[in-house]
Amino acid sequence: MKRFEKITMKATALLLSVFAFGTTVLAQGNPTLSDAEVASAAVTANQIDIDFAAIAKEKSKNTQVLEFARTMANDHQAVIDQAVALTEKLSVTPKDNAVSQQLKADAEKTKEQLRAKSGKAFDRAYIDNEVSYHTAVIAAVKDILIPETENAELKDLLTSVVPALEAHLEHAKMIQHKMSGK
Amino acid sequence: MMLPMLTATLKALLPCALILLTGFPFLKERPAAKLHRVEIVQMKFSPSSLSVQPGDTVVFVNLDVVTHDVTEASGKSWRSPPLAAKDSWKKVVRTSANYYCSFHPVMKGTITVQ
Repeated sequence: MKRFEKITMKATALLLSVFAFGTTVLAQGNPTLSDAEVASAAVTANQIDIDFAAIAKEKSKNTQVLEFARTMANDHQAVIDQAVALTEKLSVTPKDNAVSQQLKADAEKTKEQLRAKSGKAFDRAYIDNEVSYHTAVIAAVKDILIPETENAELKDLLTSVVPALEAHLEHAKMIQHKMSGK
Repeated sequence: MMLPMLTATLKALLPCALILLTGFPFLKERPAAKLHRVEIVQMKFSPSSLSVQPGDTVVFVNLDVVTHDVTEASGKSWRSPPLAAKDSWKKVVRTSANYYCSFHPVMKGTITVQ
């Protein structure tokens, strides 16, 4: 149990580091993200949660967890499709950048930790990670990506995604609460 | 001789008088069933609370990017098919119901039949 808590805390810290990294970059007055970089970070953040859902589909037998994972995969794919359609319309090619790279690096570590688990321990770790990940992504979208975006349509898209992320977070918390038996 | 005739006449006229007084209730049509629109937007049902008359129709329109549905809450006695972006679904409502989106259970709504 202690090991599980330690891993969860580590995962949370890693994910929050993306947010901390982004705010530090901005606080230091470094060059701001271009719209192409914002688009890349947004697509990456959505793809990461689809990847987490794929691991859940592979490893979980819990109906609630599987349904949640299916919703995550479908919703985040819908957001990616819309983002890709918009970038094509705007003739913007998503550009890899430090924020996207940090997101990917953190996600790889989390995936490794999730793959090492099974049964109820996996279900708990997956849902705990969904709570942490959505919390970090909501903060990053609101405080980094939206303020950094210049194009009004891209800004609108990011703004419209926030309620979905918040609904996902609340849904994950509901499952987490049920799992804890409270 | 006159009294029975008067009584019979009154008996015959009484229903007519009642009909006139009540304004031909059997001829009155029920108010036309209304169409109510509930938009699904920004992960919310809007309006989330709706009052309708029995037999009214409620149309749910998904204006979000993600897929939603409309599922009766207590016994799941009815549910819509999955509604992709821009899809809509109609239901004739006869009883009050609480409902939610089964994909996003934090999204809830109520229909009250008056």
